[in-house]
Amino acid sequence: MIGAYFFITMIRYDCFSSIGLEFSTSSSRVGDHTVNYVALKMLFGDRAKYLMLLCGLTFAVMLIVQQGSIFWGLMMWSQASITNLNVPIWVTDPGIAQVDEVKPLADTAVDRVRSVDGVEWAVPLYKGLLRARLATGEYHQITLTGLESATLIGRPAEVLEGRFEDILQPDAVVLDQWAVERMGGPTVVRVGTIFELNDKLARVVAIAKTQKSFTNIPVVYTTYERAMRYVPHERRILSYVLAKHKDGVPVEDVVQRIRTQTGLGAFTQEDFGFKTYMWVLVNTGIGINFGTTILLGFIVGMAIAGQTFYLFTIENLRQFGALKAMGASSFTLSRMILLQAFTVGLTGYGIGIGFATVFGFLTARGGNLPFAETWQLLLLVLVALLAICLVSASVSIIKLARLEPAIVFR
Amino acid sequence: MIVMKRMSVWLAVAGVGFAAWVLTGANKKDSMPTPISEPPRSPYEQVIAASGIIEAVNENVRVAPPVAGLVLKVLVKVGDRVTEQAPLFQLDDRELRAQLLTREAAIAPLQAQIDEQKYKIGDLETQLQRLQSVHDERAVSEDELKRTWYALEMAKRGDQRLHASHKQAKAQRDEVTILLERLTVRAPRNGTILQVNIRAGEYATLGPNEPLMLLGETEHLQIRADVDEVNAPLVPPQARAVASIKSLGSEKIPLTFVRIEPYVIPKKSLTGENTERVDTRVLQIIYRFKRPSFPVYAGQQVDVFIERQPSSTPGGTPPSPVVPMEQPS
Repeated sequence: MIGAYFFITMIRYDCFSSIGLEFSTSSSRVGDHTVNYVALKMLFGDRAKYLMLLCGLTFAVMLIVQQGSIFWGLMMWSQASITNLNVPIWVTDPGIAQVDEVKPLADTAVDRVRSVDGVEWAVPLYKGLLRARLATGEYHQITLTGLESATLIGRPAEVLEGRFEDILQPDAVVLDQWAVERMGGPTVVRVGTIFELNDKLARVVAIAKTQKSFTNIPVVYTTYERAMRYVPHERRILSYVLAKHKDGVPVEDVVQRIRTQTGLGAFTQEDFGFKTYMWVLVNTGIGINFGTTILLGFIVGMAIAGQTFYLFTIENLRQFGALKAMGASSFTLSRMILLQAFTVGLTGYGIGIGFATVFGFLTARGGNLPFAETWQLLLLVLVALLAICLVSASVSIIKLARLEPAIVFR
Repeated sequence: MIVMKRMSVWLAVAGVGFAAWVLTGANKKDSMPTPISEPPRSPYEQVIAASGIIEAVNENVRVAPPVAGLVLKVLVKVGDRVTEQAPLFQLDDRELRAQLLTREAAIAPLQAQIDEQKYKIGDLETQLQRLQSVHDERAVSEDELKRTWYALEMAKRGDQRLHASHKQAKAQRDEVTILLERLTVRAPRNGTILQVNIRAGEYATLGPNEPLMLLGETEHLQIRADVDEVNAPLVPPQARAVASIKSLGSEKIPLTFVRIEPYVIPKKSLTGENTERVDTRVLQIIYRFKRPSFPVYAGQQVDVFIERQPSSTPGGTPPSPVVPMEQPS
């Protein structure tokens, strides 16, 4: 979407220059099109200089976009448990910090949530860590996810092998593709494999596709009722109540109502995801580490962009001086510089995000690398880039304003 | 138009275009996969949800043995309709049967003794009559007469004692007979056998975890709905309600209010697990329903939605909600 916007901007800009040309023919303001032409000719004329400038900008943009996307990708991974289930409302203990930290509720919480106005449905969910023992004797820690058996709400949309509905068969479980990878690959674990969960039999009937999670603990799906058989004895089992608001009722209202009426903690999917990655940012080193990397990338990228452009102006100082000697006003010169700055800036931006996207597209396609490009990031980079172009152009403009035309003759 | 001649500009346009294409593809969020069956939804505006279980109208009878013992014969199978007093299973009665033999044997000698005593009395009576008919005091002494009279009276008392013993022996026989009869466990009322957990040859203990047999009336079923104690004050008596069985959430069974159980009990989790987990207390509400078009069974779990009136201002003390409705005949 945002890309399309910029595409239009580019075209528009192009139109501007053609309008400029027309202006020059129809109006008496001689030199309007000539000025634009000369400015661009100056920019493109020295191929080596132009390429150097473009490279600096391109890689600066690419660096920021790529780092930002990887950071955001990691954050997305941290809330994979939420997005993989893909339900609008999560209800649990009000003191919950993040999705993987389970605080069990009383069984009747499902009915209490169902009793709240505006709740269309509510189903129980079990989520907890357990050890799986393979036939080879290997142990693997897994996340057991117990879905409500009648509806299987919260199941992954895509199944790679088998049928997800077969989970209703006795002792059946469904793995995600990361579980297969972690447990030894498709030669060890496939549809039909039998392993033990807490000394009880589990049989793989399907393999589902999910988003990789931050901790990359394999996910084993089963039904809520069967999850109760697998897990060790606890007084409370229910981990989450998954709910949906009625159509036409704002989800925030329903969440608020669940909170006040039941005293439980209710969150929308987005809020809960936000809560989770804020927790990751605060409680792990990722926030600080990536934050500094991105900031450094940003500063370095922008410094390169500004500096290159400034140097470019300085090197063209003689030409500008000539123009000034020919009677061009400071305003005309400023326009020329701004045109140059934005042309090269936007071109560098386009190529930069193109490269970053290609990188992300090629490496992160399998889901093995966290890479999540968002339009917000691209917009932020664009704004920053335009700002830095503007700043370096202004510095050059100040330099030009003070320029003596006589410099040509020195 | 100098801009259009540059490769780099076209590259930039391509880059933006590619980024836009990837972004629109990546940010397309998958919608939730449709549930394999409809989740239970409430048909009313404001509701109280509860989880319930279908049970026989008159609570099920957990048939127990009168004494612990070996089961010899099971006379019914699951699903049999039984009438009141119909035999259900037979406990080992050989010991009592053996006792009955000795008890019965003890009666015959006593009977013989009674007969014997009768002749004795007859003999003494004739003797006494003969002696009394003789009026010559030299022929019959006073002493002899007296002794015969005493002997007769003694014999009569002996007869009474023998009769008492005979009665006692018979009572002892009857006792064993009754005890024997008790070893055949009979149906306390009409109903259907819902479960049989005992087989011939097994030992029936007193107070086992699972009933030996479960007897219930499956013609008329009712629903026992558990409402969390937190929601208990919100339950209006006589409220309309619907139930849906699991996995058939779209089929609603209309319910008729019967009563609210006046005592709030610890919730049993309906997990089917043998160890119950008590985590909260629940108010139980009984509802009656007509059998729907699809089969339902006693013991099935249901989701219940009870209609809640918009909260009105409470004026004075409301009448106790625990008032049973007229039982429909």
